[in-house]
Amino acid sequence: MDDLDTLKGIVLERSLLIPRSVVMVLLLLIVCTVASSDQKAIKPSNSTVTIGFRATHVLGFEGAKNHSTGTLSIQDRVLRFQKGSNPIRQVTIASVQDVFLGDESKQVGGLPMTLGKAVAPFGGGRVVSLFAHKKYDTVAVEYVADDGGIHGAIFELNQGQGKILRDELAAMGAHVSHNDEVKHNKIEVTNESK
Amino acid sequence: MKANKRVSPFVIAVAIMMTAVAHPPQLSAQTAATELSAPGKSSHNPKWSVQVKMIDPGDVNISASFQIGIYESLLNELSKTKRFKQVLRDGERNSSDVPDLLILKTTIEKYTAGSETQRAAPTVSGATKLTVRSQLCTRDGQILFDRTVHGKVLFMGSNFRATHNLARNVAKTIEQSPLPVSSMSALGQSGQL
Repeated sequence: MDDLDTLKGIVLERSLLIPRSVVMVLLLLIVCTVASSDQKAIKPSNSTVTIGFRATHVLGFEGAKNHSTGTLSIQDRVLRFQKGSNPIRQVTIASVQDVFLGDESKQVGGLPMTLGKAVAPFGGGRVVSLFAHKKYDTVAVEYVADDGGIHGAIFELNQGQGKILRDELAAMGAHVSHNDEVKHNKIEVTNESK
Repeated sequence: MKANKRVSPFVIAVAIMMTAVAHPPQLSAQTAATELSAPGKSSHNPKWSVQVKMIDPGDVNISASFQIGIYESLLNELSKTKRFKQVLRDGERNSSDVPDLLILKTTIEKYTAGSETQRAAPTVSGATKLTVRSQLCTRDGQILFDRTVHGKVLFMGSNFRATHNLARNVAKTIEQSPLPVSSMSALGQSGQL
């Protein structure tokens, strides 16, 4: 009888323990997910990397494929772009002549979404369009190659990251004219005066 | 009959969208100077080299990223035409040693800022339009080619697609225009005679 009670006790204890362990694992997973989503900038373990972002190379960076997504980073006074395991493309920050910041917005979903919205009845597509767009920063970098030729490269970054990148480049000695900011300020002043 | 009435607007909408996507942007170049003779697309044309100068914004308020986009796209598209022996960038030091060098100057004349978001919505607004004046000059300033070229993105694609379309139109226009015989080719021909 005592043995039966002991056995019941063990089974009960185990039945309580298993859900606890599952809960612990789930909690751990949730914490890890939240921590990783908060980490906006990609910071590899290498300590020499100053800053790194997920970026889309639109055009112009020597050797990099147009419209490719990779990591844009500043490392050892060099601006680098690498897509996956492809070779790293880089320019020295000293060769950067100017950095221009802009902002754009694009519709998410691509061609299927656009076609879907076009055929949606009762103007439903327009309602979807109100919510299905994403803002992003564009960073245009003008630099001079070893042969003296002027190059320009354009990158797309998440909203807010463009300014961080530009400020970091300026802090490292790149010439930044802040032309775009001047234009924005002018527009704001005009609006305020009205 | 009812089913036909329901379906037909959707079919028309899809057909319009598919036509718009599949149909390439039309080349629309207006001649500003006196036309030269027949288009010289043949491969036995004299091989000049070209240096692309940075884009002049003129009086137009256009962002620097668009100027860079046009500049880089022009370099890319001119290389694709195989019309030139070399396509050089602005500022390249060895350009002074290149014989028969033409200089491509591009000035922005008109820019209509569009919106990718508006374009993606089922409306007809949000088109990005660019108009530039392209001049191909010799080193001594003689203008061989002077055209006004348009580039636009009406439905699909980012705003930078307008720069790509514009550069493609400029390259096509140059490709279809005859160039005078280069000094090197003239020397070669006289040597053969």
